[in-house]
Amino acid sequence: MAGDHLDLPQGTLDLLILRTLSLGSQHGWAISERVQQLSSDALRIQQGSLYPALHRLERRGLIKAKWQTTENNRRAKYYELSKKGRDQLEVEKEAWAKLTAAVAQVLEAM
Amino acid sequence: MFSDLIFRLRALFRRTAVENELDEELRFHFDQQVEKHMRSGLSQQEAIRRTRLEFGGMSQVKENCRESRGTNLLETIGADILFALRQLRRTPAFTITALLTLALGIGANAAIFTLVHAVLQKDLPVANPASLIRLGDANDCCVGSGISDSMSYFSTDAYEQIKNNTPEFEELAAMQAGFAYRPIVVRRENSQDPPRSSSGEFVSGNYFRTFGLQPFAGRLFTDADNQQGAPATAVISYETWQTRFSGDPSVIGSTFRVNTQPVTIIGIAPRNFFGDRLISNPPDYYLPTETMPALANVTYPHDPKENWLYIIGRVRPGTDVAQLQRKVSAILRNELVSSGRLSPDHDKIKLAQTHITLIPGGAGIQAMQEQYGDHLRLLMATAGLVLLIACANIANLLLVRGIARSAEMSVRTALGAMRTRIIRQLLTESVLLALLGGIAGLLVAYAGTHMLLALAFPDATHIPLHATPSLAVIGFASALSLITGVLFGLAPAWNASRTQPADALRSSSRTAASGASLLQKGLVVFQIALSLVLLIAASLFLQSLKKLQGSDMKLNANNRYIVHINPQAAGYSQTQLDALYHTMEDRFHALPGVTKVGIASYTPMEDNNNGWGIQVHAHPENRTISSILRVNGDYFDSVGTHVLMGRGITERDTPTSPRVAVVNQTFVRKMFNPSENPIGQRFGFPGAENNSAWEIVGVVEDTVYQNVRWKDHLMFFIPTMQEPENRKDPIDKDESLYAGAIVLATDHPVDGMESITQHTLASINPDLTVVRFDTFNHQIAANFTEERLISRLTMLFGGLALLLAAVGSYGVTAYSVIRRNQEIGVRMALGADRSTVMLMILRGATIQTALGMLIGIPVALLCVHFVQSQLYEIAGLNAVILISSVLILSVAAAIAAIIPAQRASSINPMDALRME
Repeated sequence: MAGDHLDLPQGTLDLLILRTLSLGSQHGWAISERVQQLSSDALRIQQGSLYPALHRLERRGLIKAKWQTTENNRRAKYYELSKKGRDQLEVEKEAWAKLTAAVAQVLEAM
Repeated sequence: MFSDLIFRLRALFRRTAVENELDEELRFHFDQQVEKHMRSGLSQQEAIRRTRLEFGGMSQVKENCRESRGTNLLETIGADILFALRQLRRTPAFTITALLTLALGIGANAAIFTLVHAVLQKDLPVANPASLIRLGDANDCCVGSGISDSMSYFSTDAYEQIKNNTPEFEELAAMQAGFAYRPIVVRRENSQDPPRSSSGEFVSGNYFRTFGLQPFAGRLFTDADNQQGAPATAVISYETWQTRFSGDPSVIGSTFRVNTQPVTIIGIAPRNFFGDRLISNPPDYYLPTETMPALANVTYPHDPKENWLYIIGRVRPGTDVAQLQRKVSAILRNELVSSGRLSPDHDKIKLAQTHITLIPGGAGIQAMQEQYGDHLRLLMATAGLVLLIACANIANLLLVRGIARSAEMSVRTALGAMRTRIIRQLLTESVLLALLGGIAGLLVAYAGTHMLLALAFPDATHIPLHATPSLAVIGFASALSLITGVLFGLAPAWNASRTQPADALRSSSRTAASGASLLQKGLVVFQIALSLVLLIAASLFLQSLKKLQGSDMKLNANNRYIVHINPQAAGYSQTQLDALYHTMEDRFHALPGVTKVGIASYTPMEDNNNGWGIQVHAHPENRTISSILRVNGDYFDSVGTHVLMGRGITERDTPTSPRVAVVNQTFVRKMFNPSENPIGQRFGFPGAENNSAWEIVGVVEDTVYQNVRWKDHLMFFIPTMQEPENRKDPIDKDESLYAGAIVLATDHPVDGMESITQHTLASINPDLTVVRFDTFNHQIAANFTEERLISRLTMLFGGLALLLAAVGSYGVTAYSVIRRNQEIGVRMALGADRSTVMLMILRGATIQTALGMLIGIPVALLCVHFVQSQLYEIAGLNAVILISSVLILSVAAAIAAIIPAQRASSINPMDALRME
């Protein structure tokens, strides 16, 4: 299990969840797996923070939840982006791009 | 926003469903993860173990989810309250102490503030009190011809001049200044009810209109009721209508006899209206000023030189009050000139100085406010100090409790409780405690206000004050205790929740083994200092009261009864008085046990005085004002005043015999040289032809009149019916001939003296009623009501402070003993004996007490400075008071320290060490 895991900077978890869900509705476990996979194992989301984040996003109306059956015929709670969530994702993506660009610029200028 | 609300509500109301969903969701994740691990080749057991490790505390994850769902606050408050109640019940000693402290602190304050608010701040129950303005800022009373620089009571003529020339006032009303001193006798015609002495106020026709009042029934005065020659009318107060006539509607329109004259009751005043001023016995009847000469047999309502009216007006919106003040002052000055009271040539300076100050009139004539103001503010400060001490106590209790529970908090943190959750729980406890304390305080306040009113006005038949504690006050006091609770309950909770649970658990109670914190000790020192201040205040006021009561009043009150009468109201003219007095003397002397029957204008130690300007014939430069009483032959003996030189007044001093006077020692001291013999000297009214009206035939000691504080005032006594030989006015203009009191001396206490007196007077004339009956002792005691109230309350507060400080001190010491249990055990195991241990514990308590006193003494010295004016013949802090206060506090502190010290010394070293 040892590896070069990165600590998630503050606020990026929401962005990652929204981004993952923009690919289609998913349940919580799949989201964490997906993030890990997409980041080539560099990012790992702890359950301890994943579920509070999902519930928070649901409360804010950025994602919607519904119970569905998985391929293995188990009931699971699936999350999908709402219209508001889609907009929010665009906003956050842009902000993130600006932030990283700015940070990179500063770092290179040194 | 809306979806947010629905989400929260769903979580709140469908709590079980939501909880189940959360369980299922997390379980699903868990299972997926286990499966994943198994797919990578782990055994099921190993996969579960690993997943569990990854997951961390499942309940913590859930709690975080609940938190982020945002329902937690609403959802857990209920649970928190229940839990807090359980916690409080588990520690009854703490809870009871805290609640008692809060209840007494909050209750005492609410009671005092309620009284203060009612007396000092409340507006009259009238329409729009804010636009009422009073003319004059002093409470000069009651009838007089003097002109002060700032006039506050006026002649009828001045009132009318001002009223007719100030369109700025919508209405300008006038009212009798001294109605409290001039009761009327009222009887309902054609009823069996005997005549009763009642309170009646003469007012202008627009009086009720000025206050914007509507009658409860019938009608109120109009200007037509106040015309000369109009039929006599009266308005009855709602209270009197209810209590005297049990709300009988036929009272309206019926004829009453007021001072034997027929008067028609036209209406009932509004329910809550108690007149234009706060007074312990407000008017029962309102009567038009124009009917006063006929009803009360007085001349001053039509005398332009006699002041007797207060004036309150309602100004039109937007009036410039400063300009109006200049205007009414100018009108008054013109009137003083036109009425001949001041001359524009000779009284230039006086005329320029005379003015009227306008003040807000919404609270009416503030006589009581002026009388009680200082004392009430003092009580307020005292109660405030008690509240501070109570808060310090609560703070201390919560601190101790918080520290004691640090282990509990550590365990909870270790089990996954979030810090915010723990803090919220403790907060709930503090808030709950404050709320419960507030409720208990409300009960104390309610009882306390009733008690205060009864103590403050023991002889009032009806007090227009309501004993309902004001919500604002209760709210303020509760908020203060709440803040204390939150502040001091939170600090240790925060500390506890911040500690690393593992550390805290490992070291158990040893982390805070240093004993009570500096903050706690500081609080105790603060409490001790404040209680010393309060104890000193209590002793000062007690000593002051003792001095007042113990002062030599130069009278004899044993087996004496004071019967106040009003022959004028009973319809007697001056020419009938001589016969009446003789009849009264005869009838009362005939009663068994009665030895002396004194008749006088007024008596010692009552709120009454009459002063005349005088001049001594031999020293025309000695002009002054002296109190004057008309007395009969028995009077001096009846009140116990000793004749020191010459003789007293005797029954041989008839209206036609040589005019004589008896003077008091102060009169002699101030008017004659020490070498002169006052006997045989003559004095009289100022002026060459008047200043030898009376010959001094005797000197009496300085019996106290009015009150003990009024010292060194001149008095002279003349026979009941003698007039100066060159008097020009007809005798029936001389109101001073009417006696105000009969003093009965008996050889033993007589039961039922009041009804005997009533019967005796009624047998002389049914209209002759007892205005007020008192034993002489009670009349004297009534003089000290206010001082006694202050003394009792400061004593009560001092005691309360002492108790609270002792509890606080005990708490801290006892707590430190518990914390140092092991240390003491070790010391004793190493050979320390019990007395050493006791001394060690006592030392801490002694240092606290000594420090508190060191701070308290200078503070007390400072405070004495502020209350000096309210003390009687006590010059600052004296040694007796200081030492006794320090001693009382030391004893209390010693008791509070010895109990825990005793417990410390009886610790069994083995037990203490094993406790770990």
